[in-house]
Amino acid sequence: MVAILALLAIIAVIAVVDIGLKIEKKTKSDIKMSLPEFGPGVGIVRVEGAIEMSGTGSPFGVPRGAEAVIKRLSEIERDSSIKAVVLRINSPGGTVAATQEIYEKLWKLRKKNIILVASMGDVAASGGYYIASACNFIVANYGTITGSIGVIAYSPNLKRLFDKFGIQMNVIKSGKYKDILATHRDMTPEERSLLQEMIDLSYNKFIRDIALGRNMNQEDIRPIADGRVMNGETALKNKLIDQLGTFEDAILKAKELAALDADAPVYEQNDSPFQEILGSIKNIFQGEMGLGSELFHNTDKIEYRYMQ
Amino acid sequence: MILETIKSLRWTDFFLYAITDPRELYRRIRQKDPDPFALSFIIPAVASLFDILVLSLAGKETGFFYYKMSYGWILVFIYAVFKIVIYSSLVDVTAQFFGYKGNIREMLTIANFSIFPGIFLLPVFYLFAVIDFAPGFFYVFFSILFFIWYVMIFVQGISEMHSIDFGKSFVIFILPALFIGIVVFLITVLLVITGIGFITA
Repeated sequence: MVAILALLAIIAVIAVVDIGLKIEKKTKSDIKMSLPEFGPGVGIVRVEGAIEMSGTGSPFGVPRGAEAVIKRLSEIERDSSIKAVVLRINSPGGTVAATQEIYEKLWKLRKKNIILVASMGDVAASGGYYIASACNFIVANYGTITGSIGVIAYSPNLKRLFDKFGIQMNVIKSGKYKDILATHRDMTPEERSLLQEMIDLSYNKFIRDIALGRNMNQEDIRPIADGRVMNGETALKNKLIDQLGTFEDAILKAKELAALDADAPVYEQNDSPFQEILGSIKNIFQGEMGLGSELFHNTDKIEYRYMQ
Repeated sequence: MILETIKSLRWTDFFLYAITDPRELYRRIRQKDPDPFALSFIIPAVASLFDILVLSLAGKETGFFYYKMSYGWILVFIYAVFKIVIYSSLVDVTAQFFGYKGNIREMLTIANFSIFPGIFLLPVFYLFAVIDFAPGFFYVFFSILFFIWYVMIFVQGISEMHSIDFGKSFVIFILPALFIGIVVFLITVLLVITGIGFITA
């Protein structure tokens, strides 16, 4: 029995040495210990999907949508070790109010001399570009879809469909505009004019804010602010962005602008696994599987959004 | 005294009988010559260490291995002892429920020695890992095999302890597992229902 026990001990020692040698064979980066980083660095903020205020509907009160972005920006504002922010945008835009809230929050950080660099992913159009314009520097890929500067509101006109099926709506309203954008009837010229005025005001605000963020004249922006989309290369020619490059290039630029070392830590936006699981479950139950599925949720909203 | 006991090598009999004759093992435990209670806790400690080694051999080695070998091993050991204490207590309570005399100290000792064969998973698995012949399959296969062996030792120990047949001692052994299973199942169902209700609200 002693021999068996001794043999077991020897096998255990061999196993420890074997595993240790396998680890040693690997490159230094492969066995990098995940020690917490500290010191002045760059914070990452991610804006993914349609920009909407959807904070209260989240499980256990965890903010989502624009509120989550603003919460992350507030954390960065309080964190003295974050000297620069890379705003990773992959969004076709969203509602006017939510977009403006993020824009204003970014401006607040910019005024506090925190360097802001926007990095555009697949899409950073309309409201996605709006928030990018609040940054000191914008980096986009060649193939990024951006631009789409404009405001949109729409609703389907189902009057003829209703007539065909003999459906009539009973509407009791307190004012003549209370059922503006109603789907069961044609829009009146007064209603169209009222909405157009609202759209124009939001559009002008959009142009003013871009001009402010990009340090450009409004007159230089208006010719290309007709809702057109463009890729990164065209956006660079039109001075809507500052550089063509990747997310990593944006991080390096942020470090450079904030006078940080090239190996300064990058503080990633980390949702806890618990939050991610709950978020995924909620999305499955609500059928929110991606950007595309949200396209038809936005009736009766005025949006800075690129309609795909 | 302790040194003399160690030199006598009588303590190795417990390990030998654990794998060859579990009924004789219990008789030796009852004789307390030497008292194997403290010695028996070496087994979960070694088993925890060997578990970590097996998992490290089975998986992708990372720098985390060194952490696992230090505080990770202590945590696994504490968890293993916790499981043994809880389960032995439940088995002892079940035995008392059937009218037998409880003895948690002896029950714990039997439980500890029962996991001794599980230690052999390391050399057996190591062999298949070295020759790279379906190590994943043999890990699962031998884990099941050693678990059955563990159950056999534990049940025979209970049988000898209360002088009852194998079937009755198996019932005493399995009832706490069924109880825990039902409780965990009900808790899971309740948590899932509550969670889905809360998320979809």
